[in-house]
Amino acid sequence: MQLKNLDRGGALVALTLMAVLPLVFDSKYLMGVLTVAAIYGIWSVSWDFMSGLTGRENFGHSLFIGVGAYAAGFLNTTWGANAWWGLPAGMLAAVVFALIMGIPTLRLKGPYFALAMLSGAVIMQRLMLIFWKFTGGEEGINGIEPLIRSPLYFYWFVLGMLVFTAALLGGLARSRWGLILKAIRGDEATCQAAGLNVTYYKIASLVISAAFAGMGGALYAHYQLQVSPQLFAVVTSITIITMVYVGGMSTIYGAIGGALLLTLMTEMLRDFGEWRLMIYSVALILILFFLPQGLVAPTWKKIRRLLARGRS
Amino acid sequence: MLEILIFGAVTSAIYAMLAVGFTLIFGVARILNLAHGSFYALGAYGAYVLTTIFKVPLIVAAPLVVVGVALFGMVVERVLIRPMRKSQLAVLMISLAISLVVEQALFLTFGSEYRNVPSFIDQKYVIGGVDVAGQRLLTLLVSVVSISGLYLFIQKTRLGSAILAISQDPEAAQYMGIPSDRIFGVVMAMSAGLAALAGIMAGPFLSVQPSMHLLPIVKAFAIVVVGGLGSIPGSIVAALMLGYAETLVAYGISTSWTEIVSVAATLLMLVLSPAGFFGKRAAF
Amino acid sequence: MSLLSVRNLDKRFGGLHAVKDVSLEVHQGDILGILGPNGAGKTTLYNLLTGFIKPDNGQVILNGQSLLGIPSHKVVGLGIARTFQLCRPFVGLTVLENVMVGSLGPRVPKVDLEKRAHKLLEQVGLTGKAETLSELLSYGDQRRLEIARALATEPRLLLLDEPFAGLGSGEIAALSTLIRDLHREQGLTIMLIEHKLREFMQLVSKVVAIDFGQVIGTGSPQDIVKNPKVIEAYIGKQDADYAA
Repeated sequence: MQLKNLDRGGALVALTLMAVLPLVFDSKYLMGVLTVAAIYGIWSVSWDFMSGLTGRENFGHSLFIGVGAYAAGFLNTTWGANAWWGLPAGMLAAVVFALIMGIPTLRLKGPYFALAMLSGAVIMQRLMLIFWKFTGGEEGINGIEPLIRSPLYFYWFVLGMLVFTAALLGGLARSRWGLILKAIRGDEATCQAAGLNVTYYKIASLVISAAFAGMGGALYAHYQLQVSPQLFAVVTSITIITMVYVGGMSTIYGAIGGALLLTLMTEMLRDFGEWRLMIYSVALILILFFLPQGLVAPTWKKIRRLLARGRS
Repeated sequence: MLEILIFGAVTSAIYAMLAVGFTLIFGVARILNLAHGSFYALGAYGAYVLTTIFKVPLIVAAPLVVVGVALFGMVVERVLIRPMRKSQLAVLMISLAISLVVEQALFLTFGSEYRNVPSFIDQKYVIGGVDVAGQRLLTLLVSVVSISGLYLFIQKTRLGSAILAISQDPEAAQYMGIPSDRIFGVVMAMSAGLAALAGIMAGPFLSVQPSMHLLPIVKAFAIVVVGGLGSIPGSIVAALMLGYAETLVAYGISTSWTEIVSVAATLLMLVLSPAGFFGKRAAF
Repeated sequence: MSLLSVRNLDKRFGGLHAVKDVSLEVHQGDILGILGPNGAGKTTLYNLLTGFIKPDNGQVILNGQSLLGIPSHKVVGLGIARTFQLCRPFVGLTVLENVMVGSLGPRVPKVDLEKRAHKLLEQVGLTGKAETLSELLSYGDQRRLEIARALATEPRLLLLDEPFAGLGSGEIAALSTLIRDLHREQGLTIMLIEHKLREFMQLVSKVVAIDFGQVIGTGSPQDIVKNPKVIEAYIGKQDADYAA
């Protein structure tokens, strides 16, 4: 009980800090960075929900992000719809692709599923370039309208969506869903023998993961005001996976911490210019070797223990 | 028609060199090494550095680079991959991270412009009315020789038998006293060396830039999945299939569709028949 | 009253005729033993009964309802639960969580999941270990966990696959008592595959002997050991000890 309250307290403090930070520093730049961090947070949380819990790592998460973004972009520019339609459209597009990709590939073993999803993202990226007449090719779609004109209010909206995503997916992770997904990670056949429709849960969790990734993609489109095939790149998927590893796999809240940390680190490394990606990749290797449990979640758990002991 | 035949063969030859190494390390160590493309890139860049900067003649540089990359492969396997071997996914991630580090290192050192790797043969030949660069023909020859050499090595030598034993049953091999770990290092070296050789041979007529490792690894994976993970003959057959499929697409439709061919082939094969045509180990 | 009716069940794997025209009846309250040497097709039979694999021919009827074509997770929902020869706990989950996963099926009464799981652990004797990671349990405890997890699905029929394998004599005795208690107190119908003949004979009320996929004899434990075909196929020289 006490741990739960500490968790809630910690979340509240973190949320308030994030909401207030740009006001305190009155920096448009900081707000931009935090907005991107929050969107990455949504993407990371959605990845953790499926891949973190079931252990079926998806190397093609960028597929859902990209189709969500492009769906929102198309809707807004080519079809002139109101920007707000982009969000449900992004979710829907991502869900459709999750079904198309997921149903045939979810029965594959770990690495093959990962690479199959990666292939999907690569194909999509290629297709965006090949059909440049419709998709704008390398330059993508430009001139997307912002959702909310005020950068501050948009940032708070994104934060709100992040909280919504984390609360929903975190809640699911703590419920029977989470238990079943973790059992699937433990032993699929036994799970089936215990009376659970494993296929359904695998597909459903991928679909849910995709929906939120697509929503994040739509948000990103309305933030950057443009989308390009770069969104489908492997780098995007790997970055998100790194964020979840840093945060702590399957913890859901850790992913947010990881997203924040890495986005901030990327910005601070901007001075290093071209060395950024290199430092990133080396960091990933170091984390895989020395911090398989991640950084954020274990740290929070230690803090929590100290606080709990301090109280009693 | 003859054009397609010849260029398809050259393309297949390069892919075969990459795929055979990739499937070899998988067959022996159950590792999907996503850094395999990096060995290819390092081969090309190594040749560039030695010949252009250090003015070493290509005929001397080539074997030096092959050995150098082979050693690099051994070190990478020993230091970074072996500790992660308990989880196939961890190996996947680590090898991917390594490939990114190598890519970045190449980018930081050489920039993103295309570099020139010298050819062994500069002249063009005319075969049946078709202009073919001598280098391409040489590549075809080198590929056939090196892969045959590798195949003979595995079939005829003691080390080769050990390798076969480990790929069939790693535990039993260990009970027989075969030092699996040391052999993994050797196989990795061979696999890396072969990939580097492909880079040296193909460098003159394919693009040499830091991200050149990506497409080859995607294609190697495609070939190995289609041909069957762990099967060398399977990889050769599948390399031919992919090489010709790509050439046909390039001539028939357009070159921008060629990458999709390999990726789509992988996807379809994974979904329809994960064991490939010859492979014994399924992806299930 | 027949709970499970198996008629002419047949299954081939390529050239191997794993299960050949097998018929048997399980009545409510039985403890039916399945006897047979390794490779006789006993586990394949279980796989067929639970819907893990589809038979080529034959009928499986549970309480009047045909189980053919029903996916395995739904068969559990109809009341058949099984354990496996090799214990397979959910790695990464605690003992309690393992049992809770088993409690998510449709037959389970709508009570507090955790409380029910604790009660089940009590029944199998794993109370102190609720928070332990399941993969860290001793072999004997993992067996109990398997049974608890199977019981969690609220089965009508429990299929046990060599529950005593790999256990020491003390653990075997304890597990044997547990199985007998489950049968007596809950009226649970049980099918038992087991090679440890002494315990086997003491537990079962009826035996079906299988060899090379075929039924070679049915009857009470006393009758079965005297059946010449069974002796020839399985017991061999040891019959002298067990007939005594």
